[in-house]
Amino acid sequence: MSNKPYRLSQGGSRIDRTKKVHFSFDGKQLTGFAGDTLASAVMANGTKLFGRSFKYHRPRGVVGLGSEEMNALVGVGDGSRHEPNLRATQVELFDGLQAVSQNRWPSLAFDVGSLNSTFSRFIPGGFYYKTFMWPQRFWKHVYEPLIRKTAGLGTAPEGRDPDSYENIHLHCDVLVVGGGVAGLAAAESAAATGARVIVADENPRFGGVADISGGLLDGKPQTAWVADKVSALAESENVHLLPRTTVVGHWHHNYLMLFERVADHDPALLREGAPRHRLWKVRAKQVILATGAIERPIAFANNDRPGIMLASAARALVERYGVSPGVEGIVFTNNDDAYQTALALKAAGIGVRVVDSRGRAEGVLPEKARSAGIDVAVSSVVSAVEGNLGVTAVRVAAYRKGQGRVITERKISCDFIAMSGGFNPALHLWCHNGGKIKFDSGLQSFRPDRHQDPITAVGAANGTFALADMITEASAADETVAKRRTKAAKVKLPKAEQDVQKPLEALWFAPATGKYNEGNKHFIDFQNDVTVADLELAQREGYESVEHTKRYTTFGMATDQGKTSNLNGLGVLSEATGKSIPEIGVTTFRPPYTPFSFGSIAGVLTKNLFLPVRRTPIYQWHADRNATFEPVGQWRRAYTYTGAGEDKHGSINREILAVRHKVGLLDASTLGKIEIKGPDAAEFLDRMYTNMFSTLKVGKCRYGLMMNELGFLTDDGVTVRLGEDHFLMHTTSGGADRIAAWLEEWLQTEWTHYKVFVTPVTEQWAQFAIAGPRARNVLAKLRADFDLSHDGFPHMSFKEGKLGGYPVRVYRISFSGEQSYEVAVPSNMGRGLWNAILDAGKELGMEPYGTEALHVLRAEKGFIVIGDETDGTTTPIDVGLDGLVSKKKTDFIGKRSLEQSYLKGPNRKQLVGLLTEAPTDVLPDGAYAVRHVKDKPPMEMIGQVTSSYHSPTLERSIAMALIQNGRARMGETLSFPLEGGKVIRAKIVDPIFYDKEGARQNV
Amino acid sequence: MSDLYVETPLVHREAPQGLSIELREITDRGMIDLRGSANDKKFMVAVKKVLGLDLPKAPRTSVSWGDVKALWLSIDQWLILCSRAKAVELTAALKAELGSIHSLVVDVSDMRAVLRLEGEGVREVLLKGSSLDLLSDDYAPGTVRRMRYAEIAALLHVVEDSVFDIYVFRSYADYAWEFLLATARAPAKVSLFGAQNAAI
Amino acid sequence: MLLVHCPVCGAEGDETDFHGGGQAHIRRPATHNPAEVSDEAQRDYLFIRHNPRGLHFERWRCDRGCGKWFHAARDTVTMEFKAFYGITELPPRELMEAATGEWATYFKDKLKADAKS
Repeated sequence: MSNKPYRLSQGGSRIDRTKKVHFSFDGKQLTGFAGDTLASAVMANGTKLFGRSFKYHRPRGVVGLGSEEMNALVGVGDGSRHEPNLRATQVELFDGLQAVSQNRWPSLAFDVGSLNSTFSRFIPGGFYYKTFMWPQRFWKHVYEPLIRKTAGLGTAPEGRDPDSYENIHLHCDVLVVGGGVAGLAAAESAAATGARVIVADENPRFGGVADISGGLLDGKPQTAWVADKVSALAESENVHLLPRTTVVGHWHHNYLMLFERVADHDPALLREGAPRHRLWKVRAKQVILATGAIERPIAFANNDRPGIMLASAARALVERYGVSPGVEGIVFTNNDDAYQTALALKAAGIGVRVVDSRGRAEGVLPEKARSAGIDVAVSSVVSAVEGNLGVTAVRVAAYRKGQGRVITERKISCDFIAMSGGFNPALHLWCHNGGKIKFDSGLQSFRPDRHQDPITAVGAANGTFALADMITEASAADETVAKRRTKAAKVKLPKAEQDVQKPLEALWFAPATGKYNEGNKHFIDFQNDVTVADLELAQREGYESVEHTKRYTTFGMATDQGKTSNLNGLGVLSEATGKSIPEIGVTTFRPPYTPFSFGSIAGVLTKNLFLPVRRTPIYQWHADRNATFEPVGQWRRAYTYTGAGEDKHGSINREILAVRHKVGLLDASTLGKIEIKGPDAAEFLDRMYTNMFSTLKVGKCRYGLMMNELGFLTDDGVTVRLGEDHFLMHTTSGGADRIAAWLEEWLQTEWTHYKVFVTPVTEQWAQFAIAGPRARNVLAKLRADFDLSHDGFPHMSFKEGKLGGYPVRVYRISFSGEQSYEVAVPSNMGRGLWNAILDAGKELGMEPYGTEALHVLRAEKGFIVIGDETDGTTTPIDVGLDGLVSKKKTDFIGKRSLEQSYLKGPNRKQLVGLLTEAPTDVLPDGAYAVRHVKDKPPMEMIGQVTSSYHSPTLERSIAMALIQNGRARMGETLSFPLEGGKVIRAKIVDPIFYDKEGARQNV
Repeated sequence: MSDLYVETPLVHREAPQGLSIELREITDRGMIDLRGSANDKKFMVAVKKVLGLDLPKAPRTSVSWGDVKALWLSIDQWLILCSRAKAVELTAALKAELGSIHSLVVDVSDMRAVLRLEGEGVREVLLKGSSLDLLSDDYAPGTVRRMRYAEIAALLHVVEDSVFDIYVFRSYADYAWEFLLATARAPAKVSLFGAQNAAI
Repeated sequence: MLLVHCPVCGAEGDETDFHGGGQAHIRRPATHNPAEVSDEAQRDYLFIRHNPRGLHFERWRCDRGCGKWFHAARDTVTMEFKAFYGITELPPRELMEAATGEWATYFKDKLKADAKS
């Protein structure tokens, strides 16, 4: 016993005493057994102290049995594998496990932050809202850093996570949540109908608390029945069992998320490459909640000291792990169930007495306890605890419900307490998607009531605790929800025998007496350090609604989502206000049931898969040529190709000048392309565009503007008439999918009589712009088999033919103002034609150019870009394209809105050009023009820069801007104050800076 | 045509060792997008004359005639599958035969990448990117379904019980390929609803 | 994550396979002659929407399926879909009768017309 003072010499159904496991806690090397949890193994080594609390830094130990644990949060793993805030009661021990306690500095036993506890009278409930408010500047530099250092839980891991994670979707007929006796009975009967059944349990083994609940099934211990059922279900072709899997949330239409800890318990699996966690997204036709119940703590003075546990947890510690919670204990209860703990402790040779708040304890279990020689004190409560890092003694006071504070008390030495205030059905999942609940006075707790979804709760989750009732109810659950039982596959129910329990008596709060009431805390929410006094204070300060009290005190808002605290808080409020618990109301349980990892949410969608990236057929060539890529929607477009000894500014200028003086080649494959065909196609396009398309001649191209119904520009592009009833529409790169959907929407919902088909074909074609004074020469060198003469193939027309042997569609259109051809070729031939064009262009001085050169070239010409010159509130009139808004057409999308008063009023911002006074000054994109320059903001803003570049063609800066009444202010000089005090002055000019007549594209 | 350089979207990719299924690109797949009304008798007759098959009217089904397949995409849209060379021929023939009948025929052979997934557990691999109920009887061989896969649009064609073709737009080919590499890793293999280890 | 059913092709799937298109049964006043549409009518068409607690009617598109638009009747409290119906159709009669508030006003005439025919 000397090296393992708390490991009992026998017992422990879960552990394998032949397999020793080495691990460390806070750097100390310890050993446990295979099957231990971190909690049981550390406690076996005699340590009760696991961490410090969130606000007051009070010493804390293990309280719970599993996922309800609120105190013993630990960090597990090292460096980039470190995972904070894990419940020690759920961490399975393995060889080499490294765990650390949290929220303590410099060490767990001596913690500087615990001074918070001494000064706690200054940080009562709601202190967040009362302090740190002034002076304002203190927040950033004093309060926040201080709070961040002293409050909080674990620390984040360092470095890139080396492990993998994944998501998976699954549909099922029945999802059973919880694999205890009720869950297994429900699963068995659902599976017998042939339904696809999933059973998920957060623990490594199925069975729930069958092993510590006493009672017999068919004359055998419950565990024997559990083992039979689990192996039968595991064999079934229509059942999938998911251990170590927490159902973390329930959403609309029975959509659930299940968090599976695949490899946390076994580093060998991780080494083999298994995902660490897997997130299941399950759509279930029916959900059966067999989530059990969570034991309630009781609020008494210093009820948070290490060594104070839930009765069920103390029992599990002894029976599952062969670990004693201490030498001499008190079982403090208001119900019969905790007597099982007293009996288990006694059987294990541990000293124990029972303190029962009820006036009478005459059930089967209390009688068994008395027969076993256990001292039972009724009408008594634990009113205070002595000891700091552990329990040294308790004060036991006489108690009678409803009779106020009692003064007689006695002191009993002990080193641990097992408390039980009754059980709360685990209703979290029931409530996530709006399930209604009702108060059950027998349980003194809430039970499921109504739910809009096909979901039902069985067993303890439904407030049904008696074994026989539980099994009957669970077996019928599938039928209850589905109202179907097609196969007459009746399941034989086992015969249950169990000690009958007498009712509990509500006990929320056992106030300390006399001096023990001074400065001692009665905790309700252990994780957020909320006490009875905090709740009473909130109530006195006028927080009548429980939802307000929750937010003010933060009770129930910690990562445990109030598992052990919600109802106790309501009980205290009920006593403080004299209202019943149902009148107080309930707060909402929110997902997740327990915290789950970010990794599991992201799944494989990290790194290269973080975002879908679209590549053109020329992508690899761009990459090989050292292109910088620019995101355009999900596309990656070549921005500029920087050569040796060049910076980006240099390469952009080189590319622009090549287009202006020789010839350039641009990958424009991302442009949206949509085929539109049908007898009503022309009329349909007239509805979609602001300008007229029905008059376009076959073989010709026309630039079109599109508005939404608000009258604002949404897209533009060139549309080609391929045949009388057949068009090819080009859209912006980012707008391709949106516009295709937009066209479909109007065809399907408004002009349903139009005979028009719309097929997006963007990716069928690789498309390149050959632009510059020598563009035609390039085509000629590529043996174009169509007329290249200016008259035979004029600007804004279209040809189909062969180029370098490749089948192409060629559009003579220009976004640079130069002679320009856009060549489209089926995508798989894109790379071949691209290379052929470059070969042909080599001796003509051809240079590939990127999107930045493209933008400067178009800005020199004053061409707008949707999204630069427009911001979603810009009309065609604003950008000076009145000429493209048809006066002849009766109707088109957005036409009526352009007539609304607010779009016709004065002071609309209008598109203008800007020339800075100093030609080398390049205005920043988005710079604001102000009416009067002042020392500091605010200044009245009258417009903003929409595009701004250095133009190598003009050897000076140019910009476009949207300026209030801009067109009436030609020649005016505006001021643009920048950050740092500099003011750039620029003159308003026409936005076309170069080749105003458009002569260059027409040769 | 012999001197023309042609490459499919995944030409630079080869499946690595250590996957739980086989994965490759199908390169010689011609595709024609065909629009028309299933209720238009003339349209259906003209199509049959060229393709030799009745276009499937039942949602999410497909029909074969020789080496030509027609996949149902919508109530007025089908994807015709054949060899690349034949797609050029059939596109021209369909256009000619349909004439003034309201329809739209587009050769889209280069618009999508086709990924062939093969092997036991292929459905489980796909479930890591698709929320469809792929284990149900709805996904028998011959089934066609457009879907959201990972973060992109895709077309699923159940070729055989354990053979699936996934069609994605060409620009997303690398993304889809890499997503499959990540989700088809052998150590991440998932078996669903079969016999399980009872030691739980 | 809602479970949506397409009445056109019968596909059923997560709402991410579909595209929500806002309130249903909004008439576009400008289609015949925009000049006859008052400023107020255009404003209502663009900006004024019902926001009922309970039964609501909306548009959806089978975005990852057949690509067709359709209508849905949905309870905004329970999220239950009460019906899916064609994009050019009115809701089932019993739902028009069950509608409240602005929807009841809207369907009043339709129900009368329906009763006559």
